[in-house]
Amino acid sequence: MNSRYEIGFIITPEVNEEEVKKIIESITATIKKANGLIENLDEWGRKKMAFPIKKNLEGYYVFIQTEVDGAIITTLERRLKQMEKVLRFITLRLDDKLKKSNKLTKKWAKIDKIRKKTLESRSEERESEDFIEKEEESDADEK
Amino acid sequence: MQMRSSSGDGKPPKKYYSARKKYCAFCKDKITLIDYKNHKNLENFISETGRIFPARVSGTCAYHQKQLSKAIKRARQMALLRFTEEKKRIT
Repeated sequence: MNSRYEIGFIITPEVNEEEVKKIIESITATIKKANGLIENLDEWGRKKMAFPIKKNLEGYYVFIQTEVDGAIITTLERRLKQMEKVLRFITLRLDDKLKKSNKLTKKWAKIDKIRKKTLESRSEERESEDFIEKEEESDADEK
Repeated sequence: MQMRSSSGDGKPPKKYYSARKKYCAFCKDKITLIDYKNHKNLENFISETGRIFPARVSGTCAYHQKQLSKAIKRARQMALLRFTEEKKRIT
């Protein structure tokens, strides 16, 4: 069963571009081997961190969104832990969240429709009321 | 003696305004998924010392407050937001 995951990790700022490419390729290759899909590869590049990690003030941020088997994620986690050049990593499952968010968007769309309807009906009522008032005024003027 | 306002125009003192009702910032923009990666947006919901504001202060609804607290904690794990920061004292 394939499901959507997000992997994010920070690489030490000392590495050069080639080594960064190597690390990213090693991860993407394992995903592709297991018939996985790489939906998005976000490279933020060097960024100042909020607090130092292992005496490093900066970090190279990479985020990958994929669709793979869950067993591959556990192996990737193990490998990321062993890498000395990776300072921190995070893996998330997105399926449940996306389901929930889709439900909410549908619900809100329904509420919006009902609101629009009530507003329209109200405005119509108001217009009719104004019309009656105007008629009464005109009657009073004639008298 | 009648109460008089400080401006001295003889009118009674002004009444205190009732607090405006707060709305959930995420419901307003119709955001259903709070991402830990946009830390610049999450910064509005933590104090200068790094604490998460309670829902009664920020006005977020229960559904979004749950997601928000989780997103902030994940951002902290990835060093995008601060855990704590000492208050800067003016000496």
